[in-house]
Amino acid sequence: MSAIHLQNLVKTFGNFTALKTMDLEIADGEFMALLGPSGCGKSTTMNMIAGMEEPTEGRILFGDRDMTGVPMGRRGVGFVFQNYAIFTHMTVRQNLAYGPRMHGKPKAEIDRRVGAIAELLQLTPLLDRRAGRLSVNILQRVAIGRSAIMEPAIFLLDEPLSNVDAAFRAVMRTELKHLQREFRQTMVYVTHDQLEAMTMADRIAVMDHGVLQQVGTPIEVYNNPANVFVAKFIGAPGMNLIPGRPAESDRGLVVDLGPLGVTPPLPDHLAAALRRSNATVLYGFRPEQAAIAEDGEGLTLPVTFVERIGARTIVHMGQGGSAVKAVFDNNLRVAVGEMMVLAPDAASVRIFDVATGKAVGGRHG
Amino acid sequence: MSALTASEAAMAKSTPEAAINRHDESARLGFRLTLPAQILVLFIAVFPLLMQLYISLTDWSPLSGLDWWGAWELWNGFANYSDLASDNRFWGALWRTAVVMVVCVPAEFLLGLALATLFADDFPGKRFFYSILLMPMMVVPAVAGYMFFMLFQSGGPLNDILSTLTGTRVAIAWLSDPTLALIAVMIADIWQWTPLMFLILLAGLVGVPQDQIKAATLLGANPWQRFTTIVLPKMKTIIIIALAIRVIENFKIFDTLYIMTGGGPGVATETISVYIYKVTTQDLIWGYVAAIALAILIVLSIATVFAMKRMAAVREVRA
Repeated sequence: MSAIHLQNLVKTFGNFTALKTMDLEIADGEFMALLGPSGCGKSTTMNMIAGMEEPTEGRILFGDRDMTGVPMGRRGVGFVFQNYAIFTHMTVRQNLAYGPRMHGKPKAEIDRRVGAIAELLQLTPLLDRRAGRLSVNILQRVAIGRSAIMEPAIFLLDEPLSNVDAAFRAVMRTELKHLQREFRQTMVYVTHDQLEAMTMADRIAVMDHGVLQQVGTPIEVYNNPANVFVAKFIGAPGMNLIPGRPAESDRGLVVDLGPLGVTPPLPDHLAAALRRSNATVLYGFRPEQAAIAEDGEGLTLPVTFVERIGARTIVHMGQGGSAVKAVFDNNLRVAVGEMMVLAPDAASVRIFDVATGKAVGGRHG
Repeated sequence: MSALTASEAAMAKSTPEAAINRHDESARLGFRLTLPAQILVLFIAVFPLLMQLYISLTDWSPLSGLDWWGAWELWNGFANYSDLASDNRFWGALWRTAVVMVVCVPAEFLLGLALATLFADDFPGKRFFYSILLMPMMVVPAVAGYMFFMLFQSGGPLNDILSTLTGTRVAIAWLSDPTLALIAVMIADIWQWTPLMFLILLAGLVGVPQDQIKAATLLGANPWQRFTTIVLPKMKTIIIIALAIRVIENFKIFDTLYIMTGGGPGVATETISVYIYKVTTQDLIWGYVAAIALAILIVLSIATVFAMKRMAAVREVRA
């Protein structure tokens, strides 16, 4: 087992900067998800950890061993490719035995290890089948088994579920999480699917445009997004962000959202942080964390669209340049064109600085 | 009772019969549509083959004063074929053809594979060298023959270069020495046809999935292990195709060789094609020529069928 330290990592391809100065500590035995839209640098990061690409600047350490210049075959990382890269001309057994065979292990030992890993992954009845004709979930198990047989300290998974249909993804997510508990390795998991990251990872590293945006547990990243990008990217739908100006009222500091009205008073720590500056801010709250204001006090918006998705109803509202979404139970009676008065849950309100995009008021709850 | 059975049987049959009729109808349409092409094939392939078979059973020659269809007057049964069995010049030519093939095809294959492996990666000037490398293949074989004919003269550039290198006057009579002439002919063939092998194998090589190679690398395979366990098995089909093409082509080796040596000195470089050419144009015994050609065709066809079967088996395994 091994911790991974990424120090001042930079990767450029010609003029294109794929990764801008990244620092990340991945603890021993941790399941870390690298999450971000395509082109955010997550795969580049993973390829550098695996040794497929050398960083332009910076260092990668496994534990206290500097990996600079160590070729990928000697890093002792297990890698599961997006399309699994199974050796289709071999049987499942030959695929599993490949690593030990290349390392010249004796046949008896290879047989024993293949038997054990096949048992663990429930591949025993399939051992002598040609790998080219197997279904995706079996291919995934073969890919994991083929790497796991080498007992790598670090396991890297590059969007392993992106080729799987939605129904199956749920099954494979639980299976993967289960396997990680089984192997207890340090796992780095690249994905653009926040649901995968949320459900499996111990911590998530959110990336965008080659910049690490935030690192934290799934709940931290969800509750306290460090900046506007994370706020919008995490959550489905993402956080509502409405531009406004802080204003004093007789009940405390509020945000004047222009045509949408004035927000309820801000919690003390946000008010304290905001009083120091007078810049335009983004008033943010989760669509799930707003209620219809019984007393008529809140943001007043016309309903533009009602999206009913079974268990929940997503109400789209908008006025001027601002669009707001809110999630309610499915029994909500609402029609397009009605005015809705929305009261965000005071504790879940987040404020972002328009100029920097960063969250104001530090971390909370 | 019997009537009932008959009608029952008729009823039971009616549906499949209708299907057969429909099938017949579409088959007839298909036949009519492909008829022009079939007639063409008949005249290009089947008719000459039958004509050849017919002539091979006679002593017919263009000097016999008979038109070819009248060759039956010179009918000699299987005499041509029994002559063939004891024709030392034929067996000698066949042997030399085999020797040339056994040397040239593997040499072309190994060189082509080595070059393909080299060109699968990027290096400076790759496009330039790639074009240079493909040039021999584009040279008209007769021209290549003249080139090597001049190159291998005892007063030619090759000996000049050797003289300069060794510091002594070298005057090897390449094309007049039985062994050296055969070697010269093989060198010319390898020079001209390695590029084709290279081209086919390169296509196969770049088709090998890169991620599987990466996966093998991550699992600790060294370059040689990657080559033998991933690259070669993935290229199996294309290798068989490349070898089959070159074996068939090499068996027919003629133009370059004929210009360089004319089959000589003596019969030292006389391959089967050269032998047939000489019997056709010099001895003019065309009944015998037909017998030789047919015998070779049969042998080659059997070999091809075996190769195809093997290929089909490989495909089956890969699918």
